[in-house]
Amino acid sequence: MTSTDYILVGVVGALLAASAVRDRGKTKKALKIGAKQFWNVLPFFAGVFGLIGLLQVLLTPELVRTWLGVGAGVLAPVYAAVLGGLATGPPAAVFPLGQFLLSQHASVAAVATLLIAWVAVGTVTLPAEIRFFGARFALSRWALAIVLSIVLGLAMGWLM
Amino acid sequence: MKKFAAWSKKNWLVWAVVAAYVAMTVVRPVDASRAAVLGVQTFVELIATLISVFVFVGLFQVWVNDDFILKHMGETSGLKGLALGAGIGTVIHGPLIGVFPLLKALLAKGAKAGVVVAIVSTWAIKLPMLPLEIRLFGWKFALLRNGLLFASAFIMAPLMELAIGKDWSARFRTATEEE
Repeated sequence: MTSTDYILVGVVGALLAASAVRDRGKTKKALKIGAKQFWNVLPFFAGVFGLIGLLQVLLTPELVRTWLGVGAGVLAPVYAAVLGGLATGPPAAVFPLGQFLLSQHASVAAVATLLIAWVAVGTVTLPAEIRFFGARFALSRWALAIVLSIVLGLAMGWLM
Repeated sequence: MKKFAAWSKKNWLVWAVVAAYVAMTVVRPVDASRAAVLGVQTFVELIATLISVFVFVGLFQVWVNDDFILKHMGETSGLKGLALGAGIGTVIHGPLIGVFPLLKALLAKGAKAGVVVAIVSTWAIKLPMLPLEIRLFGWKFALLRNGLLFASAFIMAPLMELAIGKDWSARFRTATEEE
């Protein structure tokens, strides 16, 4: 757990305590709602984490590097969007990777696209998103996020 | 048996992942076990966060007044509602999958689709990561990138509302209890 996790747990714990002080019945109802929803999505969560493990093994940094190097040229941001969108990992992990890619003469547009797609696209969570909000919402957002990461990446390359 | 089929349909990903692991075990057994360990590790790392999120969702549903959400994030909230959503998305963190239940609770309370889109869009901004980004890429890069991401929420929201239709959020108003 990171320190931000501790803060979240602490804040929710404090809210829960405050709620219990003000109204025991309402708090009990809140916990029941939360537990029921958590129990409902737990199997699906297990599937998502299994998928995350698989992708972490199959998508190596070397693979990303080959496609975003200078050889890829103008297509680099497009590859970056696809790879960043498929890849999964903590947001902190993408920053050192991006800096390394820059030092290997990857374009600014490609690196900026990768940084944005890494967090903004969310292919791994797509099945969950479909379940929560329906296919139309999830797929539209997914497609728009990919386009957006390329557009923003190209803008970054132009502005820098 | 019928119940099992319904469960499987709802949780199809579980079976897809099981099948993928079986295939991996046959082809590359070492990688399969490594993937399993990584998956379990990620799960353990996030379990406390996930539980807190669902406790928060419960508290939110019990305590937050529908009128408040309707007034500040509902259909008539306009640009202010979007700005509020973009602000919320910037501040919150954690895995996207943990944010979904929260967004659903917001929708159930009468928030409009654009607000939810704005939250998901600006969720990509990681405020705690900003010092790291500045150190690795410099001020200009970090501020430009995050500024563009924030601004993009206001483009994504109307585009998404166009893509999914105006009355999309209406179906969530009453549907939360059983999910």
